[in-house]
Amino acid sequence: MRRNWKSIIVFVALLSLGAGCVISAQSKEEDVAVIVNPQNSLESISSAELRKIFAGEKLSWNSNTPIFMVVRAPQAHERDILLSRVLKMTESEYKQYWVKKVYSGDVPREPLALLSNGMQLEAVRAEKGGIALISLADVRQGVKVLKVDGKQPGTAGYPLK
Amino acid sequence: MRRIFTVWTLLSVLVCASQAQSTGSSDSETIKELMQEIKELKTRVAVLEARQGQPAPEQAAAKPAEPVQETPSAEGQTLSPERISGIFPGIRMAGFGALSYKANDARPPEAGLLGFRSGNNDFAIGDVDLFLTSHLTSKASVLSEVVFSENSEKEFELDVERLLLKYDFNDYLKLSFGRYHTATSYYNSVFHHGQWLQTAADRPLVVEFSDHGGLLPSQGVGVSITGKIPSGSLGLNYIFEYGSSDIHRPNILDPNADEIVENNGHATTIGLFARPDWLQGLEVGGSFYHDRINPDGGPFHLGQSIGSAHVVYLTPRFEFLNEGFIIQHIIEETGQKLNTPAFYSLISEKLGAKWRPYFRYQYVNAPLQSPVFSDVQLRHGPSIGVRYDYNDYIAFKTQYDRTFRRQLPDINNLLLQLAFRF
Repeated sequence: MRRNWKSIIVFVALLSLGAGCVISAQSKEEDVAVIVNPQNSLESISSAELRKIFAGEKLSWNSNTPIFMVVRAPQAHERDILLSRVLKMTESEYKQYWVKKVYSGDVPREPLALLSNGMQLEAVRAEKGGIALISLADVRQGVKVLKVDGKQPGTAGYPLK
Repeated sequence: MRRIFTVWTLLSVLVCASQAQSTGSSDSETIKELMQEIKELKTRVAVLEARQGQPAPEQAAAKPAEPVQETPSAEGQTLSPERISGIFPGIRMAGFGALSYKANDARPPEAGLLGFRSGNNDFAIGDVDLFLTSHLTSKASVLSEVVFSENSEKEFELDVERLLLKYDFNDYLKLSFGRYHTATSYYNSVFHHGQWLQTAADRPLVVEFSDHGGLLPSQGVGVSITGKIPSGSLGLNYIFEYGSSDIHRPNILDPNADEIVENNGHATTIGLFARPDWLQGLEVGGSFYHDRINPDGGPFHLGQSIGSAHVVYLTPRFEFLNEGFIIQHIIEETGQKLNTPAFYSLISEKLGAKWRPYFRYQYVNAPLQSPVFSDVQLRHGPSIGVRYDYNDYIAFKTQYDRTFRRQLPDINNLLLQLAFRF
């Protein structure tokens, strides 16, 4: 009887652990979409171009509209993807980078950091030059999702996951 | 009986635990939902506040938004770019400061600069730097850098180092009007007065600010135009500056000597640099500066030309700066040419998250008969140091320099610095 109980407890513990891992892996592997204002004529963007934009090296769209960068505040999944996949920086390096960039006069301001994806959507909808990274599941109407390196988010080989 | 009781107790504990867990997870979900609602409401408040401040019916009509599922009341409404850009409106300010300690064995003592007294060891604040920016429209902004500089009498002098009205048409044409740091060197364009920003504890002598003994005209008042040149993956950029400057250089060799006033005429700077796509962090370029000076209002007028070239590789973890200069003075009255070659090279790499050791070598060789750099003469030597970033705001630097001079004793210098931003 004691052995049975032990087996049940071990089984339940393993099951919980497994389920937790699956859920965690699912949320981590969720694709992050690049969204822009619907008035933006762009349909696709390359990874290199995306890096230039979020590094403040490209400041206006081809239409001369100033690019308005919106990012998530630290600890968000989208922020992790921005730092690890797009800019290849740590959080601390990102902060130092932007202090130096703004201070040198190269850019007028650092990207606007927002607390939620709802706020990101709102900002990109309102701003003609807006661009943001947002979890695919949180994409709503009123914004345009760009292909990255020719791949749609949610498809195999999409780079921002 | 005892076994049955034990099993019953275990079962009760398991059931209670699972109930507690489900209650906990349901609570946590409720909290998450409430937090989400708060965030959405915050957004709505920002939207409504912005809308209240600037009703723009034509713009709203021209740019109808799609229905917003999360925030239904925002349907059909938009914000102007200026308003959304100004979610945090007004002037934004940042500050930089440092406390430094310097000890050296210069014989005889050289002039005290950057708040240090002329002598062999001293503490100094140096420059207190207030950096202000304000966004006027989506393309126009104002940038200002006001510095309180400590002198060798431990008094502070106010100096507007930069004051620029900037207008960016696009990536190819960016205009700035006002007081700027000249593009005579890469270092002068990128590193300004905040000591926290640079890896080393001080600037190389050739690119030191002219009012701290540097050789280049570091400031100008006029117009600066910069932008990209369509060049594909080569990433070419240009810079053009036209303005005037009035350089006052302290005599670094003699603490009792008067400043050298260059009485500069109008100056032109042109520069070209490439940031190729195929190696992020690499920048290769150069600039040419020309003006006419009349040192101390004396009998000689000099044509001053400064050529510079740089190769820089800069990533968040690795820094390799190399810059060379040739400063040529032609005395109009005699036709004599005086060349001052100079260079510096700095290499550093971040170790772990906080440590950054660095090595620098610098060289300046000014002719003894130079009407403006006679105090500088030949100076060269290595600097070795380490920077420790305590956090994103505070850095501690330790640096040792050895300077070799012609027909003068070498100088050993120790510099400790606590640099911070706020």
